[in-house]
Amino acid sequence: MKRTFYLFSNGELKRKDNTIYFETENGEKRFLPVEDISEIMAFGEVSLNKRLLEFLSQSEIIVHYFNYYGYYMGTFYPREHMNSGYMTLRQAEHYLDDSKRLDLAKRFVKGAADNMLRVVKYYEKREKDISNVREEIERRRADISDCDNGETLMAIEGNVRNTYYEAFDAIVGQPAFAFESRTRRPPRNYMNTLISFGNSMMYSVVLSQIYRTHLDPRIGYLHATNFRRFTLNLDVAEIFKPIIVDRIIFTLLGRRQLSENDFVKGTEGVVMKENARKMFVEEFDQKLQTTQNYKSLNRQVSYRHLIRLELYKLEKHLMGEKQYDPYVAAW
Amino acid sequence: MASDDMHVTGTLVWYYYICQRQVWLMAHQVNPDEDNPSIDLGRFLHEHVYEREKKEISLPGMRLDVLSEKDGRLVVGEIKKSMRGEKSARMQLLFYLDELDRAGVSAVGELRFPEQRKRERVTLDEASHTELDRARRDIFRIMYLSEPPAPEKIRYCRGCGYAELCWS
Repeated sequence: MKRTFYLFSNGELKRKDNTIYFETENGEKRFLPVEDISEIMAFGEVSLNKRLLEFLSQSEIIVHYFNYYGYYMGTFYPREHMNSGYMTLRQAEHYLDDSKRLDLAKRFVKGAADNMLRVVKYYEKREKDISNVREEIERRRADISDCDNGETLMAIEGNVRNTYYEAFDAIVGQPAFAFESRTRRPPRNYMNTLISFGNSMMYSVVLSQIYRTHLDPRIGYLHATNFRRFTLNLDVAEIFKPIIVDRIIFTLLGRRQLSENDFVKGTEGVVMKENARKMFVEEFDQKLQTTQNYKSLNRQVSYRHLIRLELYKLEKHLMGEKQYDPYVAAW
Repeated sequence: MASDDMHVTGTLVWYYYICQRQVWLMAHQVNPDEDNPSIDLGRFLHEHVYEREKKEISLPGMRLDVLSEKDGRLVVGEIKKSMRGEKSARMQLLFYLDELDRAGVSAVGELRFPEQRKRERVTLDEASHTELDRARRDIFRIMYLSEPPAPEKIRYCRGCGYAELCWS
């Protein structure tokens, strides 16, 4: 699979003949091999022109922008190259039909709950005192199948997630990184900052994979669609957030790679400093490259690839071939 | 499924003799994974071999790779990466010859395998004409199925750009 390029420095992204290069403000030049990139993540101040956008579009490379605070800002999503009117109609059909839509939304919530349980069980085995959290998630998870409307489903989803977050303090065991409550826009403490940053990354990675399929990212099932925003990536990210983002946070904190000094408090809430962000991204990229055996394909696939396979499973659900059964981590 | 844009093409004929599921997916614009290395190689070959010859003629339902003339007869060349799907390739080429024949153009075909440095002559006859008529009807039948034919593990699955969709 092609690579992801992360740009942290400020500079200009240019087209040079049939390649792309990045010139930083200190005059350093770095060539990015076009044939080998599928996405660029721009954290620094990056300027570019139409000529480059045209080239990116031709080369089917997508660019995600993160703002000064490290939060997802938007994506240059070149005109879709894998359009299938058929698939778009099936996607819309499953959105417009309430029962089909609820069915899919439930599958995402259930998959997310299953992966949260995986994480909790994993740390339970490592002697963390969180069995009450596990039991509570298991109880609430059982309500998902009986649920018959979207609002109730969202409520269950919220409850499962809040219960799950209760395990965070016991897993991390560092008062400085206390969870307190979930705060977004802006996140109010270190833990929330880490979660928001990680989730941002997750959304953009899933979006990049959607781009390589026939799915339209604007039609989501759990997250409401308004046909202007990308929402399908949010749905699919739910499955992977616990096992990728949260595990990275626990690993980094467990290794004491992050401390209070890696954050700044400002009017925009708590933000990570650049070196911490780089460290997080590095860990994230490595995680996406780790492989595991995928039984039905009978070979090793990376987490990044796993996301693509998840999208194919979704396509088959939409085609009426095989019901979507979310990936649940095996560890 | 809208019917205006449903027509049998050479590519579909090629797929038909390999895997009927591919026919359905292709006809619904559910294209194979573009990151697939063998698709990449196919595209590369298509762009870079026989550069001196006239190529890429688009007609409805056909994209002819190489066109030339020999002894006063039109020769249609079809480039293939390997001889693995030889029967498929021959049928695709016969389909082009048949379509041209219907339009009143008489031509012969040449299968080209640049990597094996091989060429193979293909001519249209009554038997292949009958077989193509049958295939055309069957391809239509597959295109109009409401669901794709179930995946089947065959020797072509290895290296196929749809394998991950089929087996995920």
